[in-house]
Amino acid sequence: MSEHHHPREPSDIERRVAAIESLLVEKGLVTSDVVDAIVETYEHDVGPLNGSRVVARAWVDPEYRARLLADGTAAVGELGFGGAEGEHIVVLANTPTLHNVVVCTLCSCYPWPVLGLPPRWYKSFAYRSRMVREPRAVLAEFGTTVPDDVELAVWDSSADARYLVLPERPAGTEGLSEDALVPLVTRDHMIGVVR
Amino acid sequence: MDGIHDMGGMHGFGAVAPEPDEPVFHEPWEGRAFGLALVGGALGLVPPGTGRGRIERIDPATYLASSYYERWARGMEEGLVEAGTLTAAEIDARAATGGTEPVRSEGTDADTVALVPTFLNSPQPTSGAPAAGAFAVGDRVTVRRMAPAAHHRCPRYVRGATGTVARIEGAWPRPGDDAPEAVYSVRFANADLWGDDAEPGSVTVDLWEGYLT
Repeated sequence: MSEHHHPREPSDIERRVAAIESLLVEKGLVTSDVVDAIVETYEHDVGPLNGSRVVARAWVDPEYRARLLADGTAAVGELGFGGAEGEHIVVLANTPTLHNVVVCTLCSCYPWPVLGLPPRWYKSFAYRSRMVREPRAVLAEFGTTVPDDVELAVWDSSADARYLVLPERPAGTEGLSEDALVPLVTRDHMIGVVR
Repeated sequence: MDGIHDMGGMHGFGAVAPEPDEPVFHEPWEGRAFGLALVGGALGLVPPGTGRGRIERIDPATYLASSYYERWARGMEEGLVEAGTLTAAEIDARAATGGTEPVRSEGTDADTVALVPTFLNSPQPTSGAPAAGAFAVGDRVTVRRMAPAAHHRCPRYVRGATGTVARIEGAWPRPGDDAPEAVYSVRFANADLWGDDAEPGSVTVDLWEGYLT
């Protein structure tokens, strides 16, 4: 780690984490480069762009879409994606009459290989407590209105399945290539807080 | 364990506050804690099994006052001590004197580094054995009333409620058990969870067969 000037008082937890890493390194149990590699994986290599590529492929290729809905893990693997917290990916397709949104009330379950690590708000006590009880009110805080005639299905990922929402292809994008569709798909679409 | 972590349906936590252009880790120590927790699990430096149970055992006041990666770090520390990898006393002593920059190892561990993309960024076989369970899609099932003290994955807000099996996910070991057991995605009408003035719609929760009747 480079020299890093902290303009604030270091926290107790910061000292404890540094103490744990130093002790593990000095005992020869862990090398710094392994921790670096894990951090860099999620800072640079694995994030929501993977999920956007999956969605864009599903929008242009009906056979891929069918495989994705049948076995999310295998179909995501076709594009080279997979790994921890993605061993059983279930893809939830939105339709004109159904909107899906994902939460983990007990902790922070999230499909890492296609979305990366979850944002703070997904892990917040507010989101975890409220999304199952008043989802329309929570979605409104994201600026999302789900019409009354659209069924709103909340998925609480409480076991081994990790959920990815497949949004509908936006109207007016029929002429766009797969690559041009990728940037239209955001992390929030694939969690379901944006429709 | 029916701890503070089981938050579904609670009131009082306020609005959800998304952060624009959020970094993956807000502070370097968060990334180090995350990486150490993963490596500690993979190398057996903490007791086998889920780290979630250790996070759930953090006392409620501390849990609520801690950031997300602080809870990960506390759970990891608990596991390292429980496994005998480190002692609480040596962590205390080092934290008091060691500053905020971890010691860098002189050597590298190329073999373990090479495993990082294998485990975190490579296609995997789909997990979950085929489930031969007691219930079928469309069956009405009721969540058992229970209060297990050990780690489990049955949220309080569905206990006693009746829902419909929407999917059969597969079979995995239920926390605390070794043998795979069927897991069902059970769909509950919001009104059956929160009462007649609930928003329309449903919540689907993944539940092991042993949680259901």
